[in-house]
Amino acid sequence: MKWSVGVKIGSTFALVWLLLLAIGITSYRSSVQLIETAGLVAHGNQVRFALTELLSHLQDTETGQRGFVLTGLDNYLEPYTSGLTQIPVTIQRMRQLTADNPNQQRRLDALEPLISQKFGEESESIALRRTKGSDAAVKVVLTQRGKVYMDQIRKVVADMDKEEADLLVVRQQEANQKAEGAKRVIIAGTSIAFLVSLLCAVVLTLHIAGPLARISSAAERIAVGDLSAPLPQTNRSDEVGALTRTFSRMAESLKEMAELARKIAIGNLTVVVKPQSDQDLLGTAFASMVTGLRDLNREIREGVTVLASSASEILATTAQVTAGASETATSVSQTTSTVEEVKQTAQVASEKARYVSDNAQKSAQISQTGKKSVDETIACMTRISEQMDLIGEGIMRLSEQGQAIGEIMASVNDLAEQSNLLAVNASIEAAKAGEHGKGFAVVAQEVRSLAQQSKQATAQVRTILGDFQKATSAAVLATEQGVKAVDLGVKQSGETSDAIRMLADSIAEAAQAAAQIAASSQQQRVGMDQVALAMENIKQASLQNVSSTKQGESAAMNLHTLGQKMKQLVEQYQI
Amino acid sequence: MNAARKHVDWSETRQRLATIQERIDQLWTPSAEERAMTLEARARLLAREPEAAKDEAAQLDVVEFLLAYERYGIATSFVHEVYPLVDLTPLPGAPSFVLGVANVRGRIVSVMDIKRFFDLPAKGLTNLNKLIIVRKGDLEIGILADELLGVRSVGLASLEPPLPTMTGIRAEYLRGIDSERLAILDIENILADQRIIVEKTTGEWRVTA
Repeated sequence: MKWSVGVKIGSTFALVWLLLLAIGITSYRSSVQLIETAGLVAHGNQVRFALTELLSHLQDTETGQRGFVLTGLDNYLEPYTSGLTQIPVTIQRMRQLTADNPNQQRRLDALEPLISQKFGEESESIALRRTKGSDAAVKVVLTQRGKVYMDQIRKVVADMDKEEADLLVVRQQEANQKAEGAKRVIIAGTSIAFLVSLLCAVVLTLHIAGPLARISSAAERIAVGDLSAPLPQTNRSDEVGALTRTFSRMAESLKEMAELARKIAIGNLTVVVKPQSDQDLLGTAFASMVTGLRDLNREIREGVTVLASSASEILATTAQVTAGASETATSVSQTTSTVEEVKQTAQVASEKARYVSDNAQKSAQISQTGKKSVDETIACMTRISEQMDLIGEGIMRLSEQGQAIGEIMASVNDLAEQSNLLAVNASIEAAKAGEHGKGFAVVAQEVRSLAQQSKQATAQVRTILGDFQKATSAAVLATEQGVKAVDLGVKQSGETSDAIRMLADSIAEAAQAAAQIAASSQQQRVGMDQVALAMENIKQASLQNVSSTKQGESAAMNLHTLGQKMKQLVEQYQI
Repeated sequence: MNAARKHVDWSETRQRLATIQERIDQLWTPSAEERAMTLEARARLLAREPEAAKDEAAQLDVVEFLLAYERYGIATSFVHEVYPLVDLTPLPGAPSFVLGVANVRGRIVSVMDIKRFFDLPAKGLTNLNKLIIVRKGDLEIGILADELLGVRSVGLASLEPPLPTMTGIRAEYLRGIDSERLAILDIENILADQRIIVEKTTGEWRVTA
């Protein structure tokens, strides 16, 4: 078979379509004939209905005629007038319905004069009843012309009805025959089409689905990774054959790839992967994967080397950390005991602070007293200063008196000097007087002696006055210094007052501060309690820390071992 | 304040003041005892026998005075009077031993400083200096004395010649030295000495001692 699968499927479908077309055309024709036959049957029935209607109208006119003749009342004429108007319409319809049937047309031509005669007889009797009364009218009826016409009409109508009924039977039979034929064609065609299509389906299935199923099962195995299964072989030239060969090539390629992967898996990264084509995603990916693996392995090797050395360092560091944690734990224990001591110290400090606060309060009161004392001292100093002023004035007056005494003494000294000179002169004169002057000389000598004594006395007084003046000066100086000292004292007292005031303020502040310190130290004590508790927790934590670091050390040891192992593993790869 | 310092005992001070006041009051009214003592002392002085009447001729009354702590004497026969040194007017151009001129009771007297002759240190002038006015004939000069000691009699027999070390002008001006180392000036020699006559030539004023 040189046909492709598409041509095979197309030809099979074309055969089935031809069969279906034949069945469809036959069915269509049978249906059209059935519809036509049904239309003819309906036409015949319409003619027969119109005939019945015509007879009914005629009987109406007859009934109206007779009623009027008998009664003479106009309302009995109503059926008559309606029948008179309806009958021509009915006849016209019948002519149209039977236009294709010349027999019926002839009969209609015969029927119309009869109906006209019948209407003449009836209109005559009605006119007579109106003009000449019922007797004349009855006479017309008694002629039986109406009845004769009526009987002839009935005969014609019966003929027409009979012909239509015969036609109906014939047409019914034709319709039945055609329907039977159509039924047979449909049944046979359908059966043939079914058989043909079944045959084609079986052939196609056997021819196409069989190899595809084999390929599918092979693909199924490949999908689950089984590449060892035998592949279907064929020399078919159609798509299935191409598919089978391509599938085999694909499986081969996959096998090669699997082989490569196996080599890579056992660590041989020296393999060379050649992609089958530019679009060989797997091959390209494999090639880049091998290259990437090679690079990655190189990097991993470097990384592992670094990791191994780092792990060694981490191990060493962890050992140090463990030692440090142990030391920390020891230190924390010591710190905890120290904190306990500090806590006790804080308690002592708190008591001391309270004591200091009380003392500061007392000191503040004492400083108030001191300030008052200093103010009194200043007042005393001021009084002393006034007294010193008085003393100074007194000494000044005394000095002035001394000066007056000095002046007087100078005068006395002068007088003594002059007396001395006078005595000397008197002595000289006495000497000159010779013997007679001897007594005078003695007196002169005595006067001179007195003058000398006066001079000595004045000299003594002058000496005393000098001492007196010195003493006065010293007193003045002392008083001045006293005044200065008192001023200084006042100033100092003022400064002292200020100092004491500042001291009082400071002490008040100190008292406040001491109170605050007392409160603070109370808080501190509470805080120290908390710190002690916290230190206890820290101690626990540091003990946990020690055990954790020991675990960390073992983990680091594991890491170190892992690094060594990884190094060995990585060295298994050949690049 | 030094607590160890001794405080003034004001009651004692007041007492002492009262005593002093009392004594001062008593000064002007000496007690009978003192009066008696004074009178007795005067009486003793007056009752003292004069020195044995010696040979009148052998006595020389001298005015005794001090020149730079040395005692000198001038015979009273030459002394006109003694006078305090006042209103000394220096004379420019005069020799160094002439201090100037002074007004003594309306007379102009030249003042001579004989310390220059005896190489005695100058003490400077004060109003305590005295002038001894000496006169011989119509020559009258004032001799400056540091201090007057009075008039006394000197036995000529006790006079001794000046020391041999004293030569020249000193020897000439000294009459002798008595037993109490009183140097007696020879006023006659001094006044007669032409060297003390100061003369200036034409156009100049002239001083004649």
